[in-house]
Amino acid sequence: MATVTLDRPGTSPAPVLRQDPRRGRKLAARIALYVAMIIAAAAIMLPFFWMVTSSLKTNNQVFSVPIQWLPDPVVWRNYLDIWAKADMLTWVKNTLILSVSVTFLQVLTGSFAAYGFSKLRFPGRDVLFLTYVATIAVPWQAYMIPQFIMLSKVGLSNTLWSILALQTFSAFGVFLMKQYYESIPEELSEAARIDGLSEYSIWRKIVLPLSGPAVATLTLLTFVNTWNDYLGPLIYLRDRDIWTIQIGLKSFVSQYNAEYALIMTGSVISVLPIALIFMLGQRYFVQGIATAGLKG
Amino acid sequence: MKRTMLTGAAALAAAALTLTACSGGDDTAGGGGDTGDASNVDTITLAGWSLATTPEFQVLADAYNEQNPDVTVELQEYDATEYDTQMIADLAAGSAPDMYVLKNLKNFVTYEDGGQLLDLSDIEVSDEVNGVDAYTVDGATYAIPYRQDAWYLYYNKDLFDQAGIDYPDGSWTWDDYAATAEELTEALGGDALGTYQHSWQSTLQGFANAQDPDADVLSGEWEYLVPWYERIVELQDAGAQMDFGAVTTNSVTYQSQFGTQQAAMMPMGSWYVATLLAQQDSGDAEEFNWGFAPAPQLDASTTENPVTFADPTGIGINPAVDADVAAAAKDFLAFVASEDAASALAEIGITPAITNDGVTETYFSIEGVPTDELSQFAFSTHDVRPENPVSADTATLQNILSDAHSAILSGTVSPADGIAEAMDRAQSEVLG
Amino acid sequence: MATTAVDAPAAPAPPPRRNRSRLTLRNTFIGWTFILPNFIGFAVLTLVPVITLFYLAFTSWNAFGQANWIGLENFQRLLTDGTFHTALINTGYYAVLHIPLTLAVSLGLALLLNHKMRGIAFFRTVAFFPYITSIVAIAVVWNMLFSPDSGPINQFLMALGIDNPPGWTTSATWSMPAVVLTSVWREMGYYMLLFLAGLQAIPRELYEAARVDGAHAIQRFWNVTVPSLRPTTFFVTVILTIQSFKVLDLILVMTDGGPGTSTLVLAQYIYRKGFEENDFGYASAVAVVLFFICLGLTVVQFLLNKRKEV
Repeated sequence: MATVTLDRPGTSPAPVLRQDPRRGRKLAARIALYVAMIIAAAAIMLPFFWMVTSSLKTNNQVFSVPIQWLPDPVVWRNYLDIWAKADMLTWVKNTLILSVSVTFLQVLTGSFAAYGFSKLRFPGRDVLFLTYVATIAVPWQAYMIPQFIMLSKVGLSNTLWSILALQTFSAFGVFLMKQYYESIPEELSEAARIDGLSEYSIWRKIVLPLSGPAVATLTLLTFVNTWNDYLGPLIYLRDRDIWTIQIGLKSFVSQYNAEYALIMTGSVISVLPIALIFMLGQRYFVQGIATAGLKG
Repeated sequence: MKRTMLTGAAALAAAALTLTACSGGDDTAGGGGDTGDASNVDTITLAGWSLATTPEFQVLADAYNEQNPDVTVELQEYDATEYDTQMIADLAAGSAPDMYVLKNLKNFVTYEDGGQLLDLSDIEVSDEVNGVDAYTVDGATYAIPYRQDAWYLYYNKDLFDQAGIDYPDGSWTWDDYAATAEELTEALGGDALGTYQHSWQSTLQGFANAQDPDADVLSGEWEYLVPWYERIVELQDAGAQMDFGAVTTNSVTYQSQFGTQQAAMMPMGSWYVATLLAQQDSGDAEEFNWGFAPAPQLDASTTENPVTFADPTGIGINPAVDADVAAAAKDFLAFVASEDAASALAEIGITPAITNDGVTETYFSIEGVPTDELSQFAFSTHDVRPENPVSADTATLQNILSDAHSAILSGTVSPADGIAEAMDRAQSEVLG
Repeated sequence: MATTAVDAPAAPAPPPRRNRSRLTLRNTFIGWTFILPNFIGFAVLTLVPVITLFYLAFTSWNAFGQANWIGLENFQRLLTDGTFHTALINTGYYAVLHIPLTLAVSLGLALLLNHKMRGIAFFRTVAFFPYITSIVAIAVVWNMLFSPDSGPINQFLMALGIDNPPGWTTSATWSMPAVVLTSVWREMGYYMLLFLAGLQAIPRELYEAARVDGAHAIQRFWNVTVPSLRPTTFFVTVILTIQSFKVLDLILVMTDGGPGTSTLVLAQYIYRKGFEENDFGYASAVAVVLFFICLGLTVVQFLLNKRKEV
């Protein structure tokens, strides 16, 4: 495990002679660390665990006093019912279409705009940027109605396009990418400029390739947020055949009753793809990757 | 650069506001729909929620279509919990259906005051229909009720038998109810609690506002609520009713409390009859004998015609429709107010706005509905009052009372202090 | 913001004025071509509704029909609205607890999970799980954990010898801390991810150089990690501040603002006033106040960040 660690316990220099006991101590420390982390992981996963067990219960068993951690009897039926009773497949399809296209467009336009904000200086830039960031501070519920009226007038409401329009141009993505670009040494783009590269080429050939972790982060977060967005689809998507998972699951709540077991079943199914994507995406966070090519 | 940007944005904002401005209001049909010709219309649209699990809208549509084969009532689906949010957005943008259900009476004033309901005074409605008054403002009617729920006292006959205690007999006051709840709790010895009152504000305030002679929500004088809260706090302290904190921290559902025999009694609305039957059928609820009695009363003077509460549910017409559609929609609403519609609804276990003998008979012929005399009496005989008066201040005052409700029942303040605090807020924020 | 470079291609001597203004013009043009694709969408879909909202704050509007201009009336009403003041104080209370706690926990997690070690993918995913778990499930489980009599947290506290443990979500005093703890737990993975990305940008050579100079782990953290991470920390702090002042979802499902008004926050108050009480003009005025609070804090953070850069 020869790695660069910032704060590994016990890295202070020790006499060469005591090499062996030190190695033993290190091993013990490592095991202790793993045990602590596994316990913490189990504690963190508790609500998720409850979600899974609830998906294997009957509706009236989901909430009980005291809490029931293990289902009895185990109701596997929920995992069949949800495909038969509801259009789960359609919901997954719609959610996937939205998440993928929103993520793609957000990363593309966001990282492009971020270059303008971080590497070029022109009048009004900072004020414009502050405007971007400041709009994040306005709660969506407050301007939801004017926005809905606007999009309805151009015929976008009740189509998947509305969610695409809503989610794609967020200030968050621009802000995230801009901050990351700022940590990329200026000398690099400088050198490229002297070599005669245009600003567009610098973005594409130098800055973007160095932004792996930021692009990965933005991709993950945008994907998750679009996947789990509830209020946006609630207001804009009315027809059953364009529902997303979150809206679909809400339809298990009717006025006088709610199918909590099915809601939890759907939630478990809905989390799995995100967890998978996260598992794959986090590979980009390997210390040093971004700067590996910098020397030169 | 900055200036041009701001100017441009301002121009766009102005454009957006123009859109906002022309979207609302009664720019088409207006009040006089009688000029329209319903025969030009073959489809009218109606908003409903959770269509897969809420069959009442389809039942009305089908029953109407049977009598009027030329007109189809098409349903548009909305969310059950966010119905009003979606409907406000749709009406504001001009994309709402021809007719919509007024799901919550407390939001009726939002639509009526906002000019989003057509005047329906020219529809003939028989005196048998309950709940029309709630939709009448200054002599004009804005919605036609099709269902009128009522709160009952549900009780588990098996648990009463096990405890050796007599069933409710229709003469109970709230004090009788509380005493029985404590006796039951003791006799059942941990198998179940005496009663379960759900954490909602209406479970307590609805009865108080309907039955208490001093009750007047809009006055902001709420001292009358104090004894009502003291009674329930005593029940909690005696352990005859699940603690409010336990209900909220464990997300307890009332369906599971009564349906899995955790509580021997439960005050709840008439909609629960159909839910319980369905849950017993699906296995979510246990099989046991049960019945429903009239809600307990403040004193014995009202046992002949017990006072209870529940909001009516009515349907109104979107004023943006043209005159022909308005005429067709009014024809549908006239049907909604008829006994035929009431019978069709009673068949699926819904308490319609008309509960005459014919409808009562239909309702109690559903398999599984308890047919004992007291249940029949509770269904057919009562003086049901709306939960809230219709006023522009209702929602704000209700929110203040809701905060007081959770503060008192969680034990944060005493009933007297909690109500006093709420009255101060009402004075300074709404009435003052 | 390290942008002095833009002027760099110029000749050693200060360029003549005309050149300079041509350069500015050129930079402005190129800058806007970068920004425009995103800005058009942003301006139409977000900026215009937000500006509309500012207008609505000076009107009485019920979502239907014409908004009536009433000048400063809404804002005058805010001055004497006790519930608004409660919501304002609650929001501030939430933010003051939530921001530093989340910063510390998520940075700690990011540092811990920035190692190359066996199973790191698993642990990172676990840390992120609270953020993707259904919020209903989160509210249910945490409420149960916080349950005053039967909940594991209080049983643990009692085992430690605390006789009178807090009532958490059933107590007006402790409901806010309970909500803050839950939301720190929920969001730590989210901000961890942002920090992790930032940590990747720190050149490894800097650590090696510091090591050669004999700096120990804590010194390396303060002298290398903290300054190099500044753009990320700035970003996280700004976003975290704004999100804390806008908090809504978790509170709605956990306490719904209660007991009483002990966890009523501004975003919920906006929703209540708008959609429940149909007073969209007044709701917009509250949103404008919330906006200026966030803007003020963001500008302060911008200035602090700028000063540190120099």
